[in-house]
Amino acid sequence: MGRLVLKGVSRKFNGYLAVSDVNLEVADGEFVCLLGPSGCGKTTLLRMAAGLDAPTEGELFLDDKKIEGVNKEVGFVFQEYVLFPWRTAKGNIEFGPEMKGVQKDERERISQHYIDLVGLKGFENHYPHELSGGMKQRVGIARAYANTPKLLLMDEPFGALDAQTRNLMQGELLRIWEKEHISALFVTHSVDEAVYLADRVVVLSAGPGAVKEIFDVNIPRPRVRTSPEANALRNEILKCLGAEIQRAAGSEREIHR
Amino acid sequence: MKNNTERKGLVINILSLISFVILWHILVLLAREQIFNIPFMKMKDLPTPLETWYALVGSMFTHTYGPGFTYGIFDHIKASLVRVVQGGVLAFIIGVPVGIGIGYSRLIHNILNPIIEIVRNMPPMAWIPLAIFILVTGGSIFIVFIGVVFPIILNTIYGVRSTDARIIDAARTLGASEAQIVAKVLIPSAFPSIIAGLRIGFGVGWMAIVAAEMVIQSPVGLGYFIWNMGDLGRYAEMVAGMIVIGVVGYIMNISILLVQKRFVKWVD
Repeated sequence: MGRLVLKGVSRKFNGYLAVSDVNLEVADGEFVCLLGPSGCGKTTLLRMAAGLDAPTEGELFLDDKKIEGVNKEVGFVFQEYVLFPWRTAKGNIEFGPEMKGVQKDERERISQHYIDLVGLKGFENHYPHELSGGMKQRVGIARAYANTPKLLLMDEPFGALDAQTRNLMQGELLRIWEKEHISALFVTHSVDEAVYLADRVVVLSAGPGAVKEIFDVNIPRPRVRTSPEANALRNEILKCLGAEIQRAAGSEREIHR
Repeated sequence: MKNNTERKGLVINILSLISFVILWHILVLLAREQIFNIPFMKMKDLPTPLETWYALVGSMFTHTYGPGFTYGIFDHIKASLVRVVQGGVLAFIIGVPVGIGIGYSRLIHNILNPIIEIVRNMPPMAWIPLAIFILVTGGSIFIVFIGVVFPIILNTIYGVRSTDARIIDAARTLGASEAQIVAKVLIPSAFPSIIAGLRIGFGVGWMAIVAAEMVIQSPVGLGYFIWNMGDLGRYAEMVAGMIVIGVVGYIMNISILLVQKRFVKWVD
């Protein structure tokens, strides 16, 4: 199971409305991408789903259980990896099980499994500063998975990677996700990424963040980025998003004036 | 290329040391020959480097290099080191938890910070009279403690506070309890800072012990040794003792750096 429901979620920061009345559902096993201009509250939504932030109005549920306090049933993957620099790749992956008091033998088994799954063989004992961005994010994904979450929350996980590595990692993520299927909520501002990965793409409007439109991606995987269906959908989403980016840029001009 | 630059650097280092010693020798000789004297100094009473060397060797190999002396230089080194280590370990045991508490909790910060801010501005030397008149025993160790504990506390606070907030978030979503956040995130994250504090602390502690030993009477210790030798007019031994103090302090600093390298492999 892993069904995330957002009911009328709003979030204010010092009187400024960042997220406004978001109603959204991520079905069990579904891959949903949140897409929107910067400053539209995407990260805030993810943090609320993780229980790292609380809505000022509305409620969030994971499998009908209200999210209050830190949600330990999610796996969070960060843009800047946010690994524990004093732990090796293996040590990072074992962090979740270790906190739960899982015995050493069992932890070894778990980390070995995810090291194999994400393709980190041979790098187990490397410290994060010895790994490339792509490898670091493999550790990040494995660390989230090793905690057996019901829901993956990913905050622009490939945003800091170069274009080639980024494409490679998108493929890798799908490969992993198809093997160990859990619900995923993925924040990005790349339309291409969203169309390649998601079952559904949720376009958010800018300032305050609200759901503008939801697109179903009915393209069977593995997807070809340049297929006519993908191109058509990308165009549609870009059109929808374009207006928002204009608005966001406009308000930025307001601010800088 | 790099090797070459390093070798060049080393050559300059050695030349610099040799030049210093030669200059020292010349200045003493000039004063003794009444050719030139540095104003306001009795340069002729200063031992030459060679006399200092002989004094050093003499104090090394004889436990009795004069009537009434029962301790050799190694006994003095050992006595001072033992005090510094005792005071330093005590400071570490108390300073690290206090620093973590202050870094972690606003409440503990508000309670302890005013006290620490005043007390840490009292130099260790200002505590010497108190150590003599109020403390029954362990005065020198106490002075070292005062010198070491504040750098450790301040660096630990800094280390804890500079922990990336997102790393703490990551640990929370991975199921860490508050106690685990402290033990498994804040402490390892602050560890390099804590060691840096230890290094600074031991530097201060070494200064403090020498000063304390001059005043707090004990027949053994480097501070006592140089004071006593000066008092007796045996300036060569006095200067030899000063050099020993410098060299031992340097070795202490390097040792802690090596410990840091050994245990903190994860910093770029």
